[in-house]
Amino acid sequence: MTPVLETRGLAAGYGGRSVISDINVTLNPSEVLCVIGHNGAGKSTMLKTMFGLISPDAGSVHIDGEDVTKLNPRDIAELGVAMVPEGRGVFPSLSVSDIFALGMHAVGVPKAERAERLEWVLGILPAIREFMERPASTLSGGQQQMVSIGRALLPRPRILLMDEPSIGLAPKLFQDLLAPVRKLQQEEGLSILLVEQNVREALKISDRALVVKSGAIAWTGEPEELADNKRLIELY
Amino acid sequence: MLALQLAVTGLQTGALYALTAVGFSLIFGSTRIFHFAHGATFAIAAYFFYFVFQAGFGTVPAILGASAGAIAFGLLIYWLVYVPVQRHEGSFFTVFVASFGVGIAVQNLLGMVFGRGFVTVNTSLSRSSEILPGLYVAPLAWVAIACAIVFLGALHLFLRHTHTGMALRALSDNPELVRIFGLSPQRISAIVFVIGSVLVVPAAIITSATTGLNPAIGHHVMLISLAASIVGGIGSVYGTLLAGLILGLAESMALLFVASQWTEAVTFAILFAFILIRPSGLLGRATAH
Repeated sequence: MTPVLETRGLAAGYGGRSVISDINVTLNPSEVLCVIGHNGAGKSTMLKTMFGLISPDAGSVHIDGEDVTKLNPRDIAELGVAMVPEGRGVFPSLSVSDIFALGMHAVGVPKAERAERLEWVLGILPAIREFMERPASTLSGGQQQMVSIGRALLPRPRILLMDEPSIGLAPKLFQDLLAPVRKLQQEEGLSILLVEQNVREALKISDRALVVKSGAIAWTGEPEELADNKRLIELY
Repeated sequence: MLALQLAVTGLQTGALYALTAVGFSLIFGSTRIFHFAHGATFAIAAYFFYFVFQAGFGTVPAILGASAGAIAFGLLIYWLVYVPVQRHEGSFFTVFVASFGVGIAVQNLLGMVFGRGFVTVNTSLSRSSEILPGLYVAPLAWVAIACAIVFLGALHLFLRHTHTGMALRALSDNPELVRIFGLSPQRISAIVFVIGSVLVVPAAIITSATTGLNPAIGHHVMLISLAASIVGGIGSVYGTLLAGLILGLAESMALLFVASQWTEAVTFAILFAFILIRPSGLLGRATAH
């Protein structure tokens, strides 16, 4: 089986300072892969490099076996990848409907399909209907995260990269937000790479997990194994 | 009647200040680039208009020439100066010094080509006529006010109702998120420089036909733009618009109380008052962005 997303010997950093090195990750079709690790372990850098936001110092990124290392985020998005960034992935000065309109325009969703896509997302996350015309700055943290996930789903991606979506959210709210995404994974074959610090909640929905420590992969395996192993728990 | 005369003059000046300052504020608010050479854009547009008009090509070619000069300069300074400086992770101060340097170079170049003295474009629109007893207004005053309404109204519609306008507002909020959306911050910034440069063109042309030009005019324009941006609220386009109008009116109305050489001091008195009493400006955010 060809992984939908794969990195080979990936290394990246900022201003000459190495943050991740020799990262080899595979994400299989319709899989939820959870990446966990301490603050500063390099999880977000890994995700940003996969999405073309950071140019790697070494190694390569592959989507469906194709080398996409030199592509920019727009080109990667066109291959069916979307990213929910860390923090609140919304523009405070724009209304929710503007954010969705801009999100579809940015990745080239044809005009004729935009209304239908919007309805599809509002069907998955119906609560958004209540605050479509409000500026994002006036929304609660949970609502902003919902908009961020909704925007990422608009192009109907095959691969969803999520960077710590639980930050600032109660565990119940986090699970409520992930439930529709999990449903898409099960029903439509969406592959999800989930970076999380909230290990307990993340492992509940993961098929596989990997631990990143000091910029390198320290362990990879089944979520159950990770939850019960004291030596592994120390890694994160 | 003197007060009414000064109010009309102040409105004309304020309209021109608003156009120029909104261009600067838009560029700074969206890109965080302290575009000190915005004054140079003004000077280039004004001298291009002067040159083409004096060469006898007529008003429309002169307007097109001024627009082309301003847009070309805005794009060139963005791609050839700011992008390389930012690529090397140049600080805010580095960008400012680079921009300041370009502004000085443009001033000297204009001085070499056109001389250092004042030049003026004479048109029939510059001549004042008595529209009420004791109230003299040149048609250019109405042109200035109409230009401000049309250009700033168009800018408002553009920012609110087009995808590019939304992208521009998004860039001012969070450049990295713009990339995550799949947009290019550099391309959006280039568009911002085009719009910011176009906004100074009517002000530059009208100034060339009213008060006249000299190569150092860019500095005055820049100081006014900076003052209006701070008084209006850093990064707030609508606040800057309002501040430009207020500063123009205040400068003119001050003549009721002080001699003409002190009018510019009024602008800076207002600026200092805002810095001390309301540092976030008229419509600015309460905290630094």
